[in-house]
Amino acid sequence: MLALIEMKRRKLQFAMVTGVVALISYLIIMVTGLGLGLNERAGTGLLALDGEYLAYASNANLSVIRSRLTDAHVAAIEDAPGVERATPVGYVAAVVEYGPEESDTAATLGVVPGSFAEPEVVDGRQLEAPDEVLIDRAWARLAGTSIGDTLPLPVGFDSRDFTVVGVVDQGYVFFQPTVYVSLEDWQALAYQGDPSQRPAASIVLIQGEDVAGASGDGWQVVTKQEGFENIEGVQAQQSTVDALRYMGLLIGTLVIGVFFYVITLQKVSLLGILKAIGASGLFLATQGMLQVFVVAVVGVLISVGLAIVTEATLLSSDTVPIMFNTNSLVTSSASVVIGGLVGAALSVRQVAAIDPIIAMQQQ
Amino acid sequence: MAILSLRGVSKSFGEGPQRVDAVRDVSLDFERGEMVSLVGPSGSGKSTLLAMVGGLLTPTSGEILVDGVDIARLGARERTRYRRDQVGFVFQGSNMVPFLTARENLLLVAGFGGMDKGALRRRADELLEELDLTHVAGHLATRLSGGERQRVAIARALMRDPALILVDEPTASLNTELGERVVDALAEEVRGRNKACLMVTHDERMAARAGRLIEFRDGRIRHDGSVASDEAARSDRG
Repeated sequence: MLALIEMKRRKLQFAMVTGVVALISYLIIMVTGLGLGLNERAGTGLLALDGEYLAYASNANLSVIRSRLTDAHVAAIEDAPGVERATPVGYVAAVVEYGPEESDTAATLGVVPGSFAEPEVVDGRQLEAPDEVLIDRAWARLAGTSIGDTLPLPVGFDSRDFTVVGVVDQGYVFFQPTVYVSLEDWQALAYQGDPSQRPAASIVLIQGEDVAGASGDGWQVVTKQEGFENIEGVQAQQSTVDALRYMGLLIGTLVIGVFFYVITLQKVSLLGILKAIGASGLFLATQGMLQVFVVAVVGVLISVGLAIVTEATLLSSDTVPIMFNTNSLVTSSASVVIGGLVGAALSVRQVAAIDPIIAMQQQ
Repeated sequence: MAILSLRGVSKSFGEGPQRVDAVRDVSLDFERGEMVSLVGPSGSGKSTLLAMVGGLLTPTSGEILVDGVDIARLGARERTRYRRDQVGFVFQGSNMVPFLTARENLLLVAGFGGMDKGALRRRADELLEELDLTHVAGHLATRLSGGERQRVAIARALMRDPALILVDEPTASLNTELGERVVDALAEEVRGRNKACLMVTHDERMAARAGRLIEFRDGRIRHDGSVASDEAARSDRG
């Protein structure tokens, strides 16, 4: 095959462009992974809640942090049309000292034990009594806490010891690993004033149908996805990551396009001779596209290999918020290959335009 | 019947005052086994004629009959197939695909389709042998000498067993001795395989090695005759 023999005999040129494609593809995969990782940190804990809708205080601007609902609000939301079940959820960021001089913030969610807001444990047991806490796997990794350990959660300037009874797999909220306590314990952690003045919940988790858009005196309901997208910074972070991905893809397309444009330019007289001795334009264009395809596929495979190695080494610690899944790898890879073929379309036009008469015009 | 017949063939380029008549009302017949030199000053129309016979240019008017088919009327796709199957080209310049070996350059035409690959392989080895190229068959085209390269080009032109061999200044980059060897090899193949060969050249000694010589001037045939009578005419003048 003409195309493959050429690649074999002009190894350096094709190896270089393949290397560049691999690096660009690696960049796209890493940026996509960063987007997924950032999203996960920003609020998978919220998305993982077992309901379709979230109710916020109307003045909270869809911020879990700012939202405070009273018992009356919760009762009104439970009675709203379309709501099948509703349960209050409290949120507070708790600074946890898990070792000497070692502390981190946990997104502490208060749930009614046994309600559908309480996540299923993957290890240990559900909440049963006060002063018990479920920790996310991410927190277990971060702090080395395990079932049976004591987790001190802050109450004012003091702290109260909670016993870890179960491990859940819910992820993060606001870049903090989640932990779950009973709603009463949450109220005590979040508000130290007059118990009668304590809010009943931050938000209400709802199961039902067609509840989005419902609102009442001081509360409003949106889909869980909309709640997630309104988490502080999520939209900005997503559009930044998308811009980087599209830029990477554009650069990849241009690099492949320009490379093949230049090597086609170098071969114009040769291609003219081949056309003159009977090669069809289709044959020559197919050979060119075959080269593009090989360069793009090999480049992408190298980049996927690099990404897997990176994940296994650099990212095994929890500090860099990059994650991959098969879907994102396949999407990124396919987009680079398609981008390459689009970039090469220019060269195909050029090949088609070569008039074989040039075979007789060169000295 | 003639393998190639030109009937009132004209070719002009451009329009109005810029119009150039490169070939004017040329009619010629060529037989199988005939090697013909086309000579004349540059701009006399000999190369344009070769390009038209080779299906690289279409005549403005007239007919070019190859085995009775008028190739001037062929569509783009049929013209490509005509060049592939019925024409063997030898160009003056860098004929070869540089990153292929001599043998691969011959087998290249197998990739164009329409022929059994085993038969092409046998034919390539046979032609390499005949043209004394067996020892360089595995060399990259860039490592071949000028004479070897032109002999490979001749072998490639013969690969698909075409009716016509069209040659454009085959010895331009060679010294006289090498040039003579290349043209002799070409003549031997043409006569042995019963092809019709048209060779454009400005080198009189090369031209004289063909059986028939046609001289062009201003797009018209100035002289058409056998080389022997031509040389006689020249010695008469001398």
